[in-house]
Amino acid sequence: MSSLLFIALPLLFGFSTPILNKFGKNAVVYVSTLMQTFLLYLALTLLSGNTAPIEIISIAPPLGISFVLNSASLFFVALFTFLITLFSLYYLSHRKTHAYKNETKFFILLNMLLASSIGLVLSSDIFNIYVFFEIAGISAYILSAYKKTPHALEAGLKYLITGAIASVFLVFAIALIYLNIGSLNLAVIAQTFETLPYNIKLLISILLLIGFGFKVEIFPLNFWVVDVYEGSTSLVNTLFSGIVVKAYLFVFFHTVYLFLPSAEFSTFLIYLGALSMLVAEIAGLRQTNLKRLFAYSSLGQVALIFTAFAMQNQDAIQAALFIAFAHSVAKFIIFLALTNIQKEHKSFSIETLKELNSPFLRSVMLMAMLSLLGIPLFAGFVGKFLVLKSLAVSGFLDVLFIIVFASLLEAVYYFKLAGFMFSKGEKKEPLKIGFTQKLLYSLLAFLLVLIGVAPFLISDFLSESANVMLNTSVYISNLVGGI
Amino acid sequence: MFEYLNQPEIIKTIVTIGSMTLLFIGLFGLLTQKHFIKIFISIAIMETSVFLFFIGNIFNNTFTAPIISERFGDVSKMNDPIPHAMILTAIVIGMAVLALGVSFAIEYFKLTGNTEIDKMNGMKH
Repeated sequence: MSSLLFIALPLLFGFSTPILNKFGKNAVVYVSTLMQTFLLYLALTLLSGNTAPIEIISIAPPLGISFVLNSASLFFVALFTFLITLFSLYYLSHRKTHAYKNETKFFILLNMLLASSIGLVLSSDIFNIYVFFEIAGISAYILSAYKKTPHALEAGLKYLITGAIASVFLVFAIALIYLNIGSLNLAVIAQTFETLPYNIKLLISILLLIGFGFKVEIFPLNFWVVDVYEGSTSLVNTLFSGIVVKAYLFVFFHTVYLFLPSAEFSTFLIYLGALSMLVAEIAGLRQTNLKRLFAYSSLGQVALIFTAFAMQNQDAIQAALFIAFAHSVAKFIIFLALTNIQKEHKSFSIETLKELNSPFLRSVMLMAMLSLLGIPLFAGFVGKFLVLKSLAVSGFLDVLFIIVFASLLEAVYYFKLAGFMFSKGEKKEPLKIGFTQKLLYSLLAFLLVLIGVAPFLISDFLSESANVMLNTSVYISNLVGGI
Repeated sequence: MFEYLNQPEIIKTIVTIGSMTLLFIGLFGLLTQKHFIKIFISIAIMETSVFLFFIGNIFNNTFTAPIISERFGDVSKMNDPIPHAMILTAIVIGMAVLALGVSFAIEYFKLTGNTEIDKMNGMKH
């Protein structure tokens, strides 16, 4: 029952807000935070369990709707609940001075985003995946246009138009799958997908690639991302780069492993990922706006995770999970720090970093950047090292070269930023950061260092997750047996 | 006179050709039009064409409605109800997304007076 709670509780919260509102203005915020903390507790108890978690929930055979919680999906569920809890805790101290208008609506959207991201990860029914795909999309569009400034609305419009196009292609792919296979269950589709005619397989894979390609921010379908990041508030950007993209990445590769595990397709995806990373880092070089710069860095990191997932071997998938974790945590630090900076400086130009007078914020941001770069002793290093190692082992030396080159470009702009942060110049008044916020930053930074110094703490679990993701036959037999 | 058109295969061919034409009309509109509302209409045409393709190809006019009762008879001679349920869901979702898009476009127009997508470059490039 527990895995349904991850979806049901946030949705239930959304429907119960009219009642909660009767208990005063703050009730919604506190109840939502409590619920998210409870979900985090639930995820952590599942994580610390002795046996490998496998839970399959099926609803009535003819419908065949089912959710699967295994090590791989549990990793993402735990990551999402952890990040959303931190987000809510941060917001609790942020709202004292900078509360959003109409917080009830904001929290409904936040929980819808959480429910749909977890739904994407757990769901093993392709039509449910479509429904969660859309719910996540709609809540993200509204969150990105939430401030209703021209920039925010522009971001929302761009996000919405690309998302609507993506969903048309996804529905087309689902329609073709159902017409040819007659089932929506991922396991049943995976069993018979091989036997389809080559043309249909090609068409479906192209449609799936376009449909998900917009959402996993892969070149050339990622032109909208940077504008969305710039238009949205940096507080909301934490969710986009920390949660939403990761959910889409997981579900895309989950379907790829199940339906299309062919070597040609995976080679194509590896080169696509490497190309995306290179393009993102080159474009990131000449940015002078912090939000845009970090948006390009997000694109680069997501492309790196994409490449690692595309390699379809256990080490590479483990590396992808490592980078996904390190990237989410680091981007949370950075976008939350930008929120703090914006309160004081009202600007996102990289020049503001020169005036930033807060040694604490400077050092946590630097740690996040070093981790994104993949410097040893930080969590990002483990992932990047494993990716490069498995690229070398699989013989993709050209891809390895591209990724190293792109990382060097990334290093150029991070060191430029670090130079700005630690340059001697006119400093403004010291930036005030609340105690709770300091605690949250320290926790995130500590996690980066802890995993960087002692990767063995989670490497067994991640290796198991990678194994579960890759061994689709176990997934299929569990699911078909469960129905 | 047109009895032969009632054969399921011919209906499916017509539906497939028609819906693919619609899809490309929508895609053409999406790529050539600049006005927000026209872009949303193009997306709506594309969505509708996919729905039409799906329902048209799954529907068999010699089968009965999927209701288990004396009147409709044998279960094996019924149309599959799942695609209809799916497409109803998809229509509602598509509607919601487009309505949201139109409301964004109206708000954006109120603030900037702009209705064209290629003039929507308030942010640096």
